[in-house]
Amino acid sequence: MILPTILVISVVAFFPLFKTFYDSFYSFGLRPGIERRFVGLQNYFRLFEDTRFIMALKNTVFFTVISVSLETVLGVLIAIVVHQRFALRGVVRAAMLVPWAIPTAISSQMWRWMFHDQFGIMSRLWEKLGIIEPGTPILGTPGLAMWAIIFVDVWKTTPFMALLILAGLQVIPEDIYEAARIDGANTIQRFFRITLPLITPTIGVALIFRTLDALRVFDVVYIMTRGAVNTETLAVYNRHVLMDRAFTGAWFGYGSAISVFIFVLISIFAILYIKSLRLKLD
Amino acid sequence: MKKYFVLLLAVLLVGGLFAVKITMTSGGVGKELEVLKKQLEMFHQQYPDIEVEIIPMPDSSTERHDLYVTYFAAGETDPDVLMLDVIWPAEFAPFLEDLTADKDYFELGEFLPGTVMSVTVNGRIVAVPWFTDAGLLYYRKDLLEKYGYDHAPRTWDELVEMAKKISQAEGIHGFVWQGARYEGLVCDFLEYLWSFGGDVLDESGKVVIDSPEAVAALQFMVDLIYKHKVTPEGVTTYMEEDARRIFQNGEAVFMRNWPYAWSLVNSDESPIKGKVGVAPLPMGPGGRRAATLGGWVLGINKFSSPEEKEAAKKLIKFLTSYDQQLYKAINAGQNPTRKAVYKDPKLKEAAPFMVELLGVFINALPRPRVANYTEVSDVIQRYVHAALTRQTTPEDAIKNIAKELKFLLGQ
Repeated sequence: MILPTILVISVVAFFPLFKTFYDSFYSFGLRPGIERRFVGLQNYFRLFEDTRFIMALKNTVFFTVISVSLETVLGVLIAIVVHQRFALRGVVRAAMLVPWAIPTAISSQMWRWMFHDQFGIMSRLWEKLGIIEPGTPILGTPGLAMWAIIFVDVWKTTPFMALLILAGLQVIPEDIYEAARIDGANTIQRFFRITLPLITPTIGVALIFRTLDALRVFDVVYIMTRGAVNTETLAVYNRHVLMDRAFTGAWFGYGSAISVFIFVLISIFAILYIKSLRLKLD
Repeated sequence: MKKYFVLLLAVLLVGGLFAVKITMTSGGVGKELEVLKKQLEMFHQQYPDIEVEIIPMPDSSTERHDLYVTYFAAGETDPDVLMLDVIWPAEFAPFLEDLTADKDYFELGEFLPGTVMSVTVNGRIVAVPWFTDAGLLYYRKDLLEKYGYDHAPRTWDELVEMAKKISQAEGIHGFVWQGARYEGLVCDFLEYLWSFGGDVLDESGKVVIDSPEAVAALQFMVDLIYKHKVTPEGVTTYMEEDARRIFQNGEAVFMRNWPYAWSLVNSDESPIKGKVGVAPLPMGPGGRRAATLGGWVLGINKFSSPEEKEAAKKLIKFLTSYDQQLYKAINAGQNPTRKAVYKDPKLKEAAPFMVELLGVFINALPRPRVANYTEVSDVIQRYVHAALTRQTTPEDAIKNIAKELKFLLGQ
């Protein structure tokens, strides 16, 4: 069974990855007549002279740091709550997953309408709470738009985070807490001394999943703002270079370089997590 | 000669024995798909040996563009007949069958000149105009009358004055349009630019947008929002449907939109049914008025087989014929590209504004026809939107557009 597995993985994963790496060293376009030229690392050097790329990188990191932190904190809190015994616990756990189960393309569109300045319910709510002046278009205001996008991402993926962490909570044996209680540890001590250390590996895995997802965020941004008012992320910019410019000039190699950059960025984060949380992958 | 005759006979025989099956992409906005299916039934009756399969496409033009990029990059032999946005022929020309020799077969001399211009790339015809679009001004007839105006605004200043007075008195918005960062913003911006006397490129393709007229046009768009306050700030997030919903709910006096909105704002469930007028967009200070040319054209995939290409030509000729354009205009509300159809009494009855505003459709101006239009559009979108959201001034926005366009077009 190992051989077919390796074969399938190499066809569906390694081949496209290798091809993208390979393409990123060339200057070429998909329009017939554009000469394919080997340019070495030039595409990568150009990345850092491209102000739009730098902006997209900043936006992506900002989005990732804020949304993943919020999701982790909220995820832990929610996991602890639904870990308690209460009536209809099963129903609540299942219902929790609804935001995560709706395809992002659809929920983003739904949220786009809810943030609409004329008939959006979120716009009304934010006005009532005094966050915005009446009539402010949330998705058309620099600064606010990114927070709205983060809001939607947190709404969507916190349940996923909570569920993963819940699984971690469930494997902690009850007698450890009992022993701690006998030794006189209070709730806060029990949380920081027992719960947190024991669910750290789980949080680590969840963090990896979420961070990697957040670094290549595309659909929420593309549907809600199309990258307007400083919300353009790397993946949205990458789509523009690869699709809008596919036939217009020698951009495909450059676009591949952006893809590789995203891949490398994600790998760095993954390695950092694995090292710092001392996760064992096997 | 004899050789060709035998060959022709063979082709006819083979053609008769084996029916050709072709595929065609189509949008599904409003009644579009339903109408096309009926048209294809009629086509099949006329050409029983050609079978046509429809490949429905997403609603958004950008997503359709991405789909075609994938098809062409992979050298797909399907779809055979391609429904293309009027801005794509130059970009996709290397992948489209050259129809220059079939100019008379398709009777392109009978078409609106602007639409034929949009399918001509370096002197080559690469597609046939199917239906056309132009920016129009929708207004509330009843409200204008109530406040003593007997005509639609002729100039932008007049529009601002009417919009201010009526919107303040009625507690609604004055003027809604498309200001989100997407292709639609370019269409709207060009209308202001042209009517103020500016342009993006001149006849020879040189970048000429860096002009006081362009700055004034963009300043006017910004002023509509923040100075005259007739346009809600939210316009920076509106696409066609956002504007239409507000207008149709009776919450705006004026709207800039395409002809498709006409049948919707006059549908039975519309609160403003029968209260809407349509006029050409107002004139700028120099007395010019302009509408952006939109619409869709039909091209043939270069990678299709010769038999499929022949069948595709027949299908395109059929769909762009007088009768079918009339049928489509009446049933799907999409504007004909043949001049003669506008004189048909049946069209006048079904969509009077199409006939009354024929001048707008004839004079509609195409967006810059360069192979890297999508990049040109992206530059305009970014800076115009930045000006509308006050991240930059109109002067700087225009200067930056000019700078980036010159770089893109190698000037």
